[in-house]
Amino acid sequence: MNPGFTNHFLLPLLRGVLQIAILLLLAPLLPGIVNRVKAWVAGRRGPPLLQLYYDLGRLWNKGIVLSTAASPGHLVGPAIAWVAILGSAMLLPLGPGDALWSFKGDALLFLYLLALARFCTASAALETGSAFEGMGAAREVSFAVLSESALITAILALAVQTGSLSLTGMLAPVPNPSAGLLAAGLFTVLLAENCRVPFDDPNTHLELTMIHEVMVLDHSGPPLAVILHGAALKLLVFALLLAQAVLPLNHLSLLPATGCLLAAMLVITLLVGFAESLLARFAFRRVPLLLTTAFLFCLFALLTAWKGVS
Amino acid sequence: MSPGCLLSLALAAMVAGTCCAPRWTRLWLGCTVAATLLTLGAAISVLAGGPWEWHGAFPIGGELPHLRADGLSAFFLVLLSVIGLAGTVYSSEYWSPKKHPGSAYPGRVWWNLLLLFMGLVLLCSNGLHFLIGWELFTLCAYFLITRERHLPAVRRAGWLYLAASHASALCLFAFFAAIAARTGSWDLGPLRDHLELAPLFWLALIGFGLKAGLFPLHIWLPSAHANAPTHVSALLSGVAIKMGIYGLMRFSGWIPTPADAGWVVATLGVASAVLGVAFALGQHDLKRLLAYHSVENIGIILIGLGFAMMASRAGQPGWGRLAMAGALLHVWNHGLFKALLFLGAGSVLHATGTRRMSELGGLWRAMPWTAASFALGAVAISGLPPLNGFVSEWLVYLGLFGAVDGLGPGSAAAVPAAILLAVTGAMALACFVKVVGVVFLGTPRTLRAEKAVECGWFMRSPMLLLGGACILIGLAPALFWPALQSAIAAWEPGWAMDVAPAPLLSLGIWNVGFALAAALAATLLLRRVRRNGIARAGTWDCGFAAPTARMQYTAGSFAGIITEWFAWILQPSRHADKITHPFPSRAAFREHTPETVLEKVVEPSAGMVMALSSAMRRLQHGRLQFYILYLVFGLIALALLAFWGGAP
Repeated sequence: MNPGFTNHFLLPLLRGVLQIAILLLLAPLLPGIVNRVKAWVAGRRGPPLLQLYYDLGRLWNKGIVLSTAASPGHLVGPAIAWVAILGSAMLLPLGPGDALWSFKGDALLFLYLLALARFCTASAALETGSAFEGMGAAREVSFAVLSESALITAILALAVQTGSLSLTGMLAPVPNPSAGLLAAGLFTVLLAENCRVPFDDPNTHLELTMIHEVMVLDHSGPPLAVILHGAALKLLVFALLLAQAVLPLNHLSLLPATGCLLAAMLVITLLVGFAESLLARFAFRRVPLLLTTAFLFCLFALLTAWKGVS
Repeated sequence: MSPGCLLSLALAAMVAGTCCAPRWTRLWLGCTVAATLLTLGAAISVLAGGPWEWHGAFPIGGELPHLRADGLSAFFLVLLSVIGLAGTVYSSEYWSPKKHPGSAYPGRVWWNLLLLFMGLVLLCSNGLHFLIGWELFTLCAYFLITRERHLPAVRRAGWLYLAASHASALCLFAFFAAIAARTGSWDLGPLRDHLELAPLFWLALIGFGLKAGLFPLHIWLPSAHANAPTHVSALLSGVAIKMGIYGLMRFSGWIPTPADAGWVVATLGVASAVLGVAFALGQHDLKRLLAYHSVENIGIILIGLGFAMMASRAGQPGWGRLAMAGALLHVWNHGLFKALLFLGAGSVLHATGTRRMSELGGLWRAMPWTAASFALGAVAISGLPPLNGFVSEWLVYLGLFGAVDGLGPGSAAAVPAAILLAVTGAMALACFVKVVGVVFLGTPRTLRAEKAVECGWFMRSPMLLLGGACILIGLAPALFWPALQSAIAAWEPGWAMDVAPAPLLSLGIWNVGFALAAALAATLLLRRVRRNGIARAGTWDCGFAAPTARMQYTAGSFAGIITEWFAWILQPSRHADKITHPFPSRAAFREHTPETVLEKVVEPSAGMVMALSSAMRRLQHGRLQFYILYLVFGLIALALLAFWGGAP
């Protein structure tokens, strides 16, 4: 076979398929770890680590109950949202491995793909005409205004720090003092965007104060499986973003970098689990305050980075 | 064929169409469509082949006509002809003589004249003729806005539009007259070496800004766009306000600008973007909401233009070019998706007779074509990939990030601008999830919404055309780079770059791949669901047994969280009945978001002027002896002035 073909086409393709497969397979593990931590702290036996995999398999084979008010968009929405989240994951580098698709300005594409996923889930929720889901969708899109401002500020901070406009370049930070601020800000955004305590409680759907979880009330069967997998993937995406925005992994060689990244993912997941076990959900009116705090963390990270460069 | 040939054919077709308009529907439609297509051809040949110029031999109003189509005017001419084409076809069914016997035929005449004069403004290269064309197209638009003038709201909107337009025209008269006085001729062209003209940019900013509807000069825009017939709203929002943008771009390129102009334009842009979308969230009237989104999108265009002006001053073509390309592409994009959304809103109005979102709901079932096109437009206007809105916003972002990266001039402004642009995007998304959800999804809230029927093909096909254009620009943005280059070269000659930047190509490939993957995933999921079996049942709603359509979340409650954050400027008025007894009687809740700038600033100050004037009127009472007394006083005052004033 032509070596050029192998080097320029076959190998990247293989690597891409492998990377996507790792992302897809690894994602449902994270909620499993969070649940184990919660069970351990509470002294319960808790669900098995691989519970979400069993759930996904079961849901994929089930029939669905569809609201009479819903249009085909109710089913198409979760599919597009899932592709959008997967797309945003493909733009992220994986420690030593570069991103699957990288160009100048892809950080904004990353941000807007997550927004597209939000548009799809929120409008799929409104399909049923249920007041509960309307509330959830309204809160989702409203609080996202704050978390999106925090995210773009974090991206600006990284851009100033590294002088790059692509995620591959941005997520190779040099060790610097703004990393701590950025970590605090991004971790808060991670909790908010992934329906975690103290913003939301993934354990219950039947509360008037839910945000994300209430939007999936009327989904069942394969679409629900896609939504659950997408949610797990989104947690993975945010954890990857947080870890690589803070840790200078690009200075390490292949194996230590992979090890560090995996350890960082584990630490983040454990932190999410502990936050969930030890904190109570915030009163609703305090959610914007906490998100504004996250924005301020990112803003100060940006100012520190700015001061460091100029 | 040369652009001149095509344009004269287009003129002939347009005149023929205008003559046919009062009688023969098909001839009118054919001629007007032909005229728009010929104009499109001429504009494309200018964009591809270079500028075109024509000097007339016979003076009009004492000046020889001088037409010129360069990249910038051709760029706007493309937008005019595409939206004009869509609107013409749409109006033939929407505003048909059968439904509007008295007003359809004159409406067609005004429509054709509006298209004609807007085209002339884009081509005129003589200050006097520019002003004449500007005034004529403003007046044509007035007669189109007031088609339903038996309604008081329409008359009020028309009057406000007329007043604001003439305030704008006044500034422009001063602007062009000052240029003519300085240069000694009404002829326009690149005048960058006349540095003394720079302060005139502020006059142009007010004059063109009023037309473009930037905050806080947008006061006329929401009511005019909401009350005009919908195809007119689409043209006004898609093209007419862009004439203001055209003016700003044209003259920021032709005359020198003051040092702070870029900052001011960008700041106004940011204010328009954020506040425009905040006001849109507070609206309950579908067309009014869309009108406020025009303010938002004008803001995004101005952010791009403002940073391009800063880059031009600082000599930074790298990111300035991207910001300008973003601004220009957003001119097209906003024209396309806003016209699409207005036409969709028009179909809803046509089918249900109401613009109030609280009376709609569940329309997707009766109007699948309209619902799908509207949803496409909603995704596009929210700036989401893989559609066109994302491409232009992304280019603006690249300009902003470039400014930040250089840490040079403008970087301190680019950081807040980028953050607020992201906030705008997220809020626009919230607003359009609300619109799509409340109007098209769920169950019908009233009998009107239940009885709706889909519109005919003359109304459907323009929506499909515009939706197709939105998809095309989203999936193949690099295809349109030469047009952008042509326009940028007309604005700042040194900035042209023949090959599309590599990131734009990558984004295009990504968008195509993403669209394919999304379509594939959706198909697979639908097939899986079908194989597993679908059982239909009522919405579960946490087990509530007897849900009614009135229990659905409304537009007001959906937007409530964000409008509460912006209550300081939205100043919403709310009336709720307090529940006092254990067994409450009927209760009602009303919410209204006023046009704050108009009702809290402009109207009170205008009222003050009126009060002062009527106080002054007491002097004029018709009694002769007092008038003689005034004369005596006046003479004494003059005498004193002459005596002590030290007159020579």
